Amino acid sequence: MDPTIFASAFTPLLNIASSDTMYQSMIRFAVVLAFAAVGELVAERAGTLNISAEAMLISGAFTGAVVSDHTGHIAFGLICGMLAGVIVAAIQANLSHRLTIDQFVVGLTLNLFVLGLALFLDARFKPQTNVATKWRVPGLANIPIIGEALYGQPWPMYLILPTVGASWYLLFRTRWGLEVRAVGENPQSADVTGIHVNRRRRQSIYFAGLCSGLGGAVLVLAQIPINGFEAGHVGLKGIIAIGAVIFGGWTLRGTLFGCLIFGYFFALQQALPSIGYTINSQLSGALPYLAALAVTSIFAARTRQPRALAQPFIRGLT
Amino acid sequence: MVCLYTLFIGIALIASAVLVWATGGDWRAVLPALINGSIAKPGRWGQTLTEAAPLLLVALGAIVATRMNLVNIGQEGQLLIGAASAAMIATRGSGIFILIFSILIGALGGAIWSSVAAVLKYWRKVPEVVSTLLMVFIATQLTGFLLTKKSLLLDRSADRPNKTQTSGQLAANTRLPYIHIFGNDISIAVPISVCIALIVVFLLNRTIWGFKLDMVGMNARVAQRFGVSERSAGIIALAIGGALAGLAGSFMFTSGTANYRYTPGFANNVGWEGLLVALVSRNQPLVAVVIALVFAGLRTGSSFLASTGIQREIVDVVRALLVLALLLPPAYVFLRGNLHRDKNRGGK
Amino acid sequence: MSEVRTSGTGAQASVPLVELTNISKRYGDIAACDNVTLSMYPGQIHGILGENGAGKSTLMKVLIGLVKPDAGAISMNGVVQNITNPQSAARIGFGMVHQHFSLVEELTVWENVLLGEELKFDRARARVLVGEIGERFGLTVNPDARIRDLTAGLRQRVELIKCLRHDPRVVILDEPTSVLTPAESEQLFPTLREKVAIEGRCVALVSHKLAEVLHATDVITIMRQGRVIEHHETHQTDAPSLARAMVGREVSLRSQHAVLGASFVSQSAPSESTSTTDATDVLQIADACVSLGGVSKLKNLNLGVRAGEILGLAGVEGNGQRELGDVLSSLLTLDSGLISIDGTIVRTGKPGSMSRAGIAVIPEDRHDSGVVLTMSVAANLALQRMVDFSHNGVIDEVLLFESAQQLIDEFEIRCDGPNAPLHSLSGGNQQRVVLARELSAKPKVLVAAQPTRGLDVGAIEFMSDRLERAAASGIAILLISSDLDEILHLSHRISVISSGTIVGTLSRQEATMEQLGLLMGGLAL
Repeated sequence: MDPTIFASAFTPLLNIASSDTMYQSMIRFAVVLAFAAVGELVAERAGTLNISAEAMLISGAFTGAVVSDHTGHIAFGLICGMLAGVIVAAIQANLSHRLTIDQFVVGLTLNLFVLGLALFLDARFKPQTNVATKWRVPGLANIPIIGEALYGQPWPMYLILPTVGASWYLLFRTRWGLEVRAVGENPQSADVTGIHVNRRRRQSIYFAGLCSGLGGAVLVLAQIPINGFEAGHVGLKGIIAIGAVIFGGWTLRGTLFGCLIFGYFFALQQALPSIGYTINSQLSGALPYLAALAVTSIFAARTRQPRALAQPFIRGLT
Repeated sequence: MVCLYTLFIGIALIASAVLVWATGGDWRAVLPALINGSIAKPGRWGQTLTEAAPLLLVALGAIVATRMNLVNIGQEGQLLIGAASAAMIATRGSGIFILIFSILIGALGGAIWSSVAAVLKYWRKVPEVVSTLLMVFIATQLTGFLLTKKSLLLDRSADRPNKTQTSGQLAANTRLPYIHIFGNDISIAVPISVCIALIVVFLLNRTIWGFKLDMVGMNARVAQRFGVSERSAGIIALAIGGALAGLAGSFMFTSGTANYRYTPGFANNVGWEGLLVALVSRNQPLVAVVIALVFAGLRTGSSFLASTGIQREIVDVVRALLVLALLLPPAYVFLRGNLHRDKNRGGK
Repeated sequence: MSEVRTSGTGAQASVPLVELTNISKRYGDIAACDNVTLSMYPGQIHGILGENGAGKSTLMKVLIGLVKPDAGAISMNGVVQNITNPQSAARIGFGMVHQHFSLVEELTVWENVLLGEELKFDRARARVLVGEIGERFGLTVNPDARIRDLTAGLRQRVELIKCLRHDPRVVILDEPTSVLTPAESEQLFPTLREKVAIEGRCVALVSHKLAEVLHATDVITIMRQGRVIEHHETHQTDAPSLARAMVGREVSLRSQHAVLGASFVSQSAPSESTSTTDATDVLQIADACVSLGGVSKLKNLNLGVRAGEILGLAGVEGNGQRELGDVLSSLLTLDSGLISIDGTIVRTGKPGSMSRAGIAVIPEDRHDSGVVLTMSVAANLALQRMVDFSHNGVIDEVLLFESAQQLIDEFEIRCDGPNAPLHSLSGGNQQRVVLARELSAKPKVLVAAQPTRGLDVGAIEFMSDRLERAAASGIAILLISSDLDEILHLSHRISVISSGTIVGTLSRQEATMEQLGLLMGGLAL
């Protein structure tokens, strides 16, 4: 085998692997995905396939931008982003699990509604934001290649750590989490045992709203300085978060790993031109979504979903 | 029940008015502008009807999928693929045969696109709600890519300004004819779509095929016992949905959307709105005909809003609120019945 | 069931522990409970006997807080109680072991025990708790095991632990032996007597099986159509009088068998057909093997059914019957082995292949694979024969309606006409629809899985009669049932299935309860 061919394939790979911008952007994408995916995991373990995760991200992003622009404080923006996510969650939760409207119908309508609303209000308010300051962990941030990516991010990004910790604790170390998991597996048995099935499902969606709302706010306040909110930045990341949950077999570790993988593909799409590959921007734009589809296809068949996923619970009808 | 509907629609309209007022617009101007744009002014009727046709087709496809309990929300992408495929063929030739051929290719393109999701569902257990949605984005990127190459979709003519990425324009003899009545131009896509709606109703309700589809949707195990494979029924249902969406795209292109050129953002949300039409009509094809008209009216009406200083996007909000308003009454009735029962059981 | 009765008089304290006074509950026109009054005394095992629909389950649901009564009072130790939900019922002292378990399969034993509790979430404490209760009541089980890996008997233990953990004053068991092997049943009753009742608790045993009630209780209350009919000390009554009270009329010998659940062997073998002389099998199952989720459900199962005979397949539920039924319904593919009809091999797992080959099935769960609840009666009667009611693919509604009306008359299906939605029919009538549909397809083989489960006496008579007539007309019938009396009553030959394989085949004359019980327990003769 001709060694130069080998080298010419190897070098760009090496370039990618040693590029610190690559890792930085991978972490950036992965963290936003993780906010949404972790919340989505809780909702899905309780049995709701929550496609309004997208609407939650958008609402968090827009509200975060507007509030932080108005008040000048990023922290307020983050908090209001969370609240916006909860409001979307309230609509999804109550329409699906109290009024028994089909959860996909509600999710889809919410996605369209929130997007339209955001675009409408954006044209009026045109919020502008700047990226939050970076917190560099002294010493660690200087590690070559990955140091900046892991330890030198704008401070809101670090909020992912308590978020992941909170969901792990809630889901696996509290009675609430036990009931949530029971409700997603066998709502009939849970009901007979005296658990409020639909209430737990609603609560899990509220939690998802908190996480995704925060994620959306982190997106605009810690990653992209914007001049007028642009919905394209969210770009179906809510749906990809669902893909990450499926990839991870509805486990926390797997979901986070999935976010890293999808984050990698987003970063790759951005990084390709800089290493000399000029792929048409449209095709490279499709890359993360194709990858998400491919990865989901490989793993969906191998994992076991919560048995009552996407099945509404109405007592007496089962 | 009618009272409930009127009540909720009223609430939706009031909420929209409040939204306009709160953001500094003149809410009184909204309704007249919408009415003018959709039906009142000359020639607008025809425009509204023509816009209703693709909405109806997309809705019909969605209804077929829902009969089988499948969630296909990728019509926007299937429509794009259909329109782009039709455009690729039609802009390269001329005459009526090319026209018909390109329309059929558009339907086929849409069918193939949705079948990918179907195959992934039955082979790899990917929930179709996720795959159809992801494929919308992939379709957007793919068709955008097609517009960058002259060999594919990009306009080959010499007088195209360098910056614009559009396809060639459809030759005059390769366009869908219009019917001219009372000063309105109505594309023949409209009567064709209504016929398709009638055919769909007939197939679903009066034939064995429709019966089998119902069986699979209501109890897949019983269907399996008696010879209906969930897998093949599902793939066919999704393929039909894709074909109808693709057909909608081809009709849109050949009846003059974007001045007979394929452009970025061609679908213009027709796919999403067609879905909403299906949801609101509670999966009754004949009701979908009416709802498609209403939604088309919102679309054409909104173009008259610019002159009132209100952003067009308000229409998206109004539409979503209307959808919620139309979905809530049956749910409310059902819930009341359930609460009544729950009280008897000492429920929560 | 052994002859040693564990029932006794029970220490009859003079003060009742629990009193139900005039409990009433209506659902629309139907009175599920009608002025029910009864008392339970501490240390007693109180049997509540009645057919399906007699109101016993509703009554227990009232005690346990799942149903709110329209009228009446419940008092414990003389104090009137207000029971609003399962948690408050548990606090007051009522505990129930459910018929269809209330366990979540994916979770472990200790997690299930914690479920629905107001306890702190503490794994170590929960495991210790499981061990403690297990030891105290003789119900040992591994706290870390996942429910889906446990047998029915062990699962019931977990249910009992869940119930006993609250230290209830009243333990209610709802049809507890329906899923147990005879051996497991034998273990249950002494446990109830020695460990549970002894501590001054009251045990309520809800059942429709006479033998069980006679065997294990101190007092019996009989319910019919929502009312309390009679109340006896167990040792003062016997099976025939109980049966009479339960049903309200002289019961024919045939249905008496179905009702009695008695442990005596009927002297009259099925009268219609003598031993079938035609010895070739219509349905042949050879070396069938199926695994689900790594667990082997059918292991080299060999079975043959002849034309005109009823082959009873006896066995405790969960030994492969459901999988066999699914295979014969085209719902499950064999990993290896063959199914053939009249010598022609039929492909398994292919939609409709079994039905087309002439195998009709009355499934054990009609809602799962027997009927489409939201379709009309006429549609359900024609599910696999729609082609016969159409011209060129278009359905002929008139023809469909007429044919449905014919079947409704012939099979005495009570409904609001052929266009009534199927879910508006009672369970018994739904079962008649299934029977009518399957027989109208003129099958070669009829598989009847648990056909009379949940039916009242009249419906049982009808079903048994039809099965016998079908056999007489030459159809090969495979009767899968966990009800030994049904098997003994109807079958010409009896095979026993245990752990996915046939452990023995006997002719009707040869079979005794004891032999069958042994085989069902997995022991060879």
